[in-house]
Amino acid sequence: MLRMEKVSKNLGDFVLRDVSLEVGDGEYLVIIGPTGSGKTILMETVAGIYNPDEGRIFLDGRDITGEAPRNRKVCMVYQDYMLFPHLSVEENIAFGLKSRRVSVGEVEEKVAEVSDLLGISHLHPRRPGTLSGGEKQRVAIARAIVMEPSVMLLDEPLSALDGLTRERLRRELKRIHQVYGTTIIHVTHNFEEVFSLADKVAVMNKGEIVQVGTPEEIFRRPKCEMIASFVGVENIFRGVASKSRGMTEIVVDGLKIVATAEGGGDGEGNDGERSDKLNGWEGREVFASVRPEEILISKVPLKSSARNSFSGRVEEIANGGMMVKVWVDVGISFMTMLTRLGYEEMDLKVGDPVYLTFKATAVHVF
Amino acid sequence: MVLTRSPPETLLASLSSKEIQFAIVLSLKTSVASTILCLLVAVPAAYALARYDFPGKSVANTLLDMPLALPPLVAGVGLLLFFGTSLPGRELADAGLVFVFTPLGIVAAQFFVNVPFMVRVMRSTFEGISPRYEYVAKTLGCTEGQALWRVTLPMASNGLVAGSVITWSKAIGEFGAVLMMAGATRMRTETLPTSLFLNMSCGKLDEAISVATILILISVISLYVFERRVGGLRL
Repeated sequence: MLRMEKVSKNLGDFVLRDVSLEVGDGEYLVIIGPTGSGKTILMETVAGIYNPDEGRIFLDGRDITGEAPRNRKVCMVYQDYMLFPHLSVEENIAFGLKSRRVSVGEVEEKVAEVSDLLGISHLHPRRPGTLSGGEKQRVAIARAIVMEPSVMLLDEPLSALDGLTRERLRRELKRIHQVYGTTIIHVTHNFEEVFSLADKVAVMNKGEIVQVGTPEEIFRRPKCEMIASFVGVENIFRGVASKSRGMTEIVVDGLKIVATAEGGGDGEGNDGERSDKLNGWEGREVFASVRPEEILISKVPLKSSARNSFSGRVEEIANGGMMVKVWVDVGISFMTMLTRLGYEEMDLKVGDPVYLTFKATAVHVF
Repeated sequence: MVLTRSPPETLLASLSSKEIQFAIVLSLKTSVASTILCLLVAVPAAYALARYDFPGKSVANTLLDMPLALPPLVAGVGLLLFFGTSLPGRELADAGLVFVFTPLGIVAAQFFVNVPFMVRVMRSTFEGISPRYEYVAKTLGCTEGQALWRVTLPMASNGLVAGSVITWSKAIGEFGAVLMMAGATRMRTETLPTSLFLNMSCGKLDEAISVATILILISVISLYVFERRVGGLRL
């Protein structure tokens, strides 16, 4: 287990402030956050490139705060591969084992095994300069995983790759994680990576960890506006909250949006906590968000138990291939998403009158 | 023009003269020695300038750039004053290291004129190599020294070769500072440029032109190597 306790580091342009974080054995932690939020420096501090100004880092119960990088059993993979250009692919993968003075036979065996797993055995004699991006990143991952590290750090490992390669390598990362059971910390901007890989997500902003949770928690219940806008929650509104028959009512520009008492909680927390929250919100300005895919769009009013139903007009349509985004003005502007088929069946045009329906539980208040 | 003036026979004849041979050997010895010294000093200095922040870094950079703008003749005068009249200079002479009007002075003159140049070449070479290569090497079991030795220096090899070759050819061609430090004593401190100067000034045109030809060849070859190795490196 990796544990960071109140780690701070100031590098001028980049800072870490009081970062406390726990990553369990074999856990896949994904860190997201805007550019310059300190993700890379967090990774490099875990790797031991920088010594923290304050705080301590423990790995498997051992204090590694002042330990040299080579004694940490932490390996790192960068977005831009950092393969050693003067060495062949095989020498690159064997680099770490050689520094550990592993016997020649064992080096060959391990390099062959990991190359097999990643499908890069045929690249062995080549120089990194002649490889494609996907091949380079496989080699970089092989070079790290062959060391059998306790923690593997991946700094935007897929960001420089094209769509197809990225997806393939993403699946491979998942497989590697299953095969080796290595604890992985993975920094990314890509939300597909979060959902497909992460056991746990940490959100960073301005050098601090602002939220830790499962991917669902982060996306459905972002703790602050920064996270909501960063994780791409489209429909964020600011309004005044009030209590109404055990529900929360948020008035946004005269429009009443009904949310549950605990503000979109999926049954989490006890009753005391819920009423505390509601009392805390009472009469105050809050943010409410509704994920586009939770909003139903229809040409006739829907009869359902959903508490929120509004009529309005189609304001804008953005055809993005697989999904079509439709903005509807119901006094305030909501974005909804339709599949390509659903969009064609509905035959929507800008200016068409439509109805929006969503449940109170779909509204997340914060 | 220089190349067409004398036929190959005269060139060969001059090459067999004692004096020219002495000049060639002395030039080779001093230039190789000063280049090695430059490497020993410039590589660590350039690495520090490229990788670390320390107080006085910008001052160090300016000081390093200054000799580039200084005429070598003036640098030579400075060196002569330092080694000839200053206290540390006299102490070195007492200890047996006599720089003034000796081959040792030639090495010193070449070294001081060229070391800033070498530092600049190596500094931009190191700056062009992301420190992340070293970070990765360290997580793969290297100490700082091993990371430098196994990763950064091999990656800097083009800059090292190019820097050494150009420094060496500049050392061979150095005249002003060498003249000030070591004088122009025939068969004693007579390097190739000095020989060219001496032969020219007493009218031995054939010898002078053969020496000039040798110097041209050296610069063409080293420029070729330099261009091949560094291409677009920013200096």
